[in-house]
Amino acid sequence: MKQNKVLNFLLNNMVPIMFIIICAVLIPLSGFSAGYLLNEIITRMGRNTFLVLCLLFPIMSGMGLNFGMTLGAMAAEIAIIFVADWQIWGLPGIVLAVILSLPISVALGWLCGTIMNMAIGREMITGYIMNFFIGGWYQLVVLFMMGPIIPIVHSSIKLPRGYGIRNTVSLLNMRQTLDDLLAIRIGGIKIPVLTFLLIGLLCLFIVWFRRTKLGQDMRAVGQDMNVARDAGIKVERTRIISIIMSTVFAGFGMVIYLQNMGNLPTYTAHSQIGMFCIAALLVGGASVEKASISNAFLGVTLFHLMFIVAPAAGTEIIGDSMIGEYFRVFASYGVITLALIMYEMKKRRSKGQAGQMLAQAQREEEAS
Amino acid sequence: MGYVGIAEGLRYWMKRMEMPRLIIAGFLVLLYVIAPFVGADFPTQITNTINRFSWNAVLVLAMVPMVHSGCGLNFGLPLGIISGLLGATLSIQFGFTGLLSFVMAIVIATPFSVLFGTGYGTLLNKIKGGEMMIATYVGFSAISFMCMMWLLLPYTSPTMVWGLSGAGLRPTISLEGFYDQVLANFLHIKIGNFEIPTGSLLFFALLAFLMWLFLRTKTGTAMTAVGSNRVFAQAAGINVDRTRTLSVILSTWLGAVGILVYQQGFGFIQLYTAPNNMTLPTVSAILIGGASVNKASIPNVIIGTILFQGMVTMTPTIMNALIHMDISEVVRVIVTQGMILYALTRKPEGGN
Amino acid sequence: MKSKRRVLICLLSVAVLAAIAAVMMIIGRGHTIYVDNRSVDYNGQTYEAPYKVTVYVKDEQIAKLYDKERGMSTWIGQNFQMTLEVMEKKGGDEVLQTIQLKLPYDMDGIIVNLPAVLAGLPEEAWLTEFIPAPVVEEDDGEIPGESDEFGLEGDMGDDMGLGGDI
Repeated sequence: MKQNKVLNFLLNNMVPIMFIIICAVLIPLSGFSAGYLLNEIITRMGRNTFLVLCLLFPIMSGMGLNFGMTLGAMAAEIAIIFVADWQIWGLPGIVLAVILSLPISVALGWLCGTIMNMAIGREMITGYIMNFFIGGWYQLVVLFMMGPIIPIVHSSIKLPRGYGIRNTVSLLNMRQTLDDLLAIRIGGIKIPVLTFLLIGLLCLFIVWFRRTKLGQDMRAVGQDMNVARDAGIKVERTRIISIIMSTVFAGFGMVIYLQNMGNLPTYTAHSQIGMFCIAALLVGGASVEKASISNAFLGVTLFHLMFIVAPAAGTEIIGDSMIGEYFRVFASYGVITLALIMYEMKKRRSKGQAGQMLAQAQREEEAS
Repeated sequence: MGYVGIAEGLRYWMKRMEMPRLIIAGFLVLLYVIAPFVGADFPTQITNTINRFSWNAVLVLAMVPMVHSGCGLNFGLPLGIISGLLGATLSIQFGFTGLLSFVMAIVIATPFSVLFGTGYGTLLNKIKGGEMMIATYVGFSAISFMCMMWLLLPYTSPTMVWGLSGAGLRPTISLEGFYDQVLANFLHIKIGNFEIPTGSLLFFALLAFLMWLFLRTKTGTAMTAVGSNRVFAQAAGINVDRTRTLSVILSTWLGAVGILVYQQGFGFIQLYTAPNNMTLPTVSAILIGGASVNKASIPNVIIGTILFQGMVTMTPTIMNALIHMDISEVVRVIVTQGMILYALTRKPEGGN
Repeated sequence: MKSKRRVLICLLSVAVLAAIAAVMMIIGRGHTIYVDNRSVDYNGQTYEAPYKVTVYVKDEQIAKLYDKERGMSTWIGQNFQMTLEVMEKKGGDEVLQTIQLKLPYDMDGIIVNLPAVLAGLPEEAWLTEFIPAPVVEEDDGEIPGESDEFGLEGDMGDDMGLGGDI
């Protein structure tokens, strides 16, 4: 009995345990000092946790991993480009970027939610394709329309040819202004208190939101759409709202992320963000249908630990840092694949069980 | 009488074509009409389109078996591509040249594609309903795993490995002296600027014909039955899982052959992350041709590849000439992804 | 009734956000300020540059300027404040002076002439716009998303983000 429990625990937490083992092996090989690692982890936690947390809303409403969170990131990038062009610096610049990203995020989130409602049961792949689709429009806007149609004042962020935005937009004037405000240093390790406060606020919001009427509705929709509909919940609307919320928070998260990085890689910043955030959440032990705040924190820590040490460890083992880089990409993809497979298998198993129970009930009915 | 017949036929085709396909076809026709006015050389444009069609058609054909057996769009195409890449690199490593290297590449790729296809098919049988998302990520995982392998496997052929260290494959390997243009040069036709890579087209025609035949054999019809209604198929005594696995193996093998044909046209083997860029355009091409998530035929493949590749070759020239901006890349991304999105939002035909 | 209240709340929050955004646009406008220590002619009168001026912005020394030298600082908002430590003649006493200036909103780079400021002249005397010399750049082909002639390469798929930092 007890052994069974241990086994179950191991099975349910397979991914985090695997990553702990990977990290335990790679850290000594990489030869990084504890102080360096701690500093890096804290930086990356501040940078990424907000983005990872935004994935929780669609999971709540049963829409799976929101591969479409990239849309929020794109909205934030457009906002940041404007802020950089208008030369609004520092904290006001960040606040302005957040406000500007809001309408774009809401619109894109609404679009994404509506399309996902047309592809029920295929939300994830739809979201995944959606991010390429909107990526194309993003490129059209930023690469061709900014300049001739959308006014951009400063030539320093425009391409030399006169239209379109450069590959990198410098955010030097708002670089880490959020992190540095209220930051404390303990033994050479900088802790961006304000950023963590914001992340904490989002966590509180999520906890509170779960208890509101809308949050309850979302969970009901996530449990069973038909039952929820029978109970008078507007299923489609609830699902759209959950995607909008995810997109909006992804936009906020992206602003935090970019102010920490200090520059905006205009055409590539968003392309990886969805994949890495999802991988991080899954590494923390979340699944497609269930995820908690602690999953997000654990996941960011483990995933980024692996991310930092893999190239150095690869150099140590094989003498080629590329191996380590390929390995970490492989690990991120592998984790997502594994989580998706486990989810689908579980879904089928429970469906099978439900079928068996139904058959048994019928048999009993016939017998009586 | 005749007039009414034409109108009827037109209406029938309009209905069958569906909106997005009509728009893309119209767009392409428009491009061809504009082409002479902006000074684009018409024969060259046609040649380009035919050329690119001959490179990609087999890859698009690789979508058919899996769609037929209800496994959805084959986002796991990279597995087939990887088998093909293994075949190609090993064939060169063993020192084959010319046409023989192409044949051997296919021969060597076959066991790999059977192996990968079996494993992948078995996996997909366990997760019926969630194939597309998982296929995507199985593809990514396989590609990134192979990225490590290309560096680590003990290849030694000097045409392929890094010159300096003597180990690890280069990202692009020239096929000159191996099977560069080996199909295309067979019965090659050239009239002025107008060229036809007859061999490649014949090769595709052969494979397409074989596929057409296969779909009419007992196994082939069983596959279609599984795809259109799994429960009925099972009731009719068809081994659903086996049929599905077979279709996946077939798709994987065609993917392997497809990438080899692509390479012989393109002239280079592309390793590492390059296979990533093949999947979505290929999926999109068959959808443009009129396939849906659970229905695909040979005409879909041909029409889709022509439309898609026509668009790919024509837009840059025309757009550049018209507005002096190269927005073709963006147009292509939007059309490709938009097409896939459109297909995903359609209600699947027939119950599953 | 309920929906009316809802619309009202929506409108109100939009208005509040717009207001915050507007405030941010005003208080967050960044300027690059160049302080010049060089003689200036104004209304036929010449104002000589002091021997040495030490400029402090936000308690941080940004420059020690002798004659014809220029220092640089950044400032967010329009109410610029700096502290000057002026040494009129070599070996003379240093006089502390706090200066407040109103900056024009729509100017990115602003040149402030110190002798004019110290003499208390009007804005037109001490302010000039800094226009960066147009950098002649070659089109180094960094235009993104443009593929080679083979078409399918480009960012259609998920390029795996190697080397990307997250």
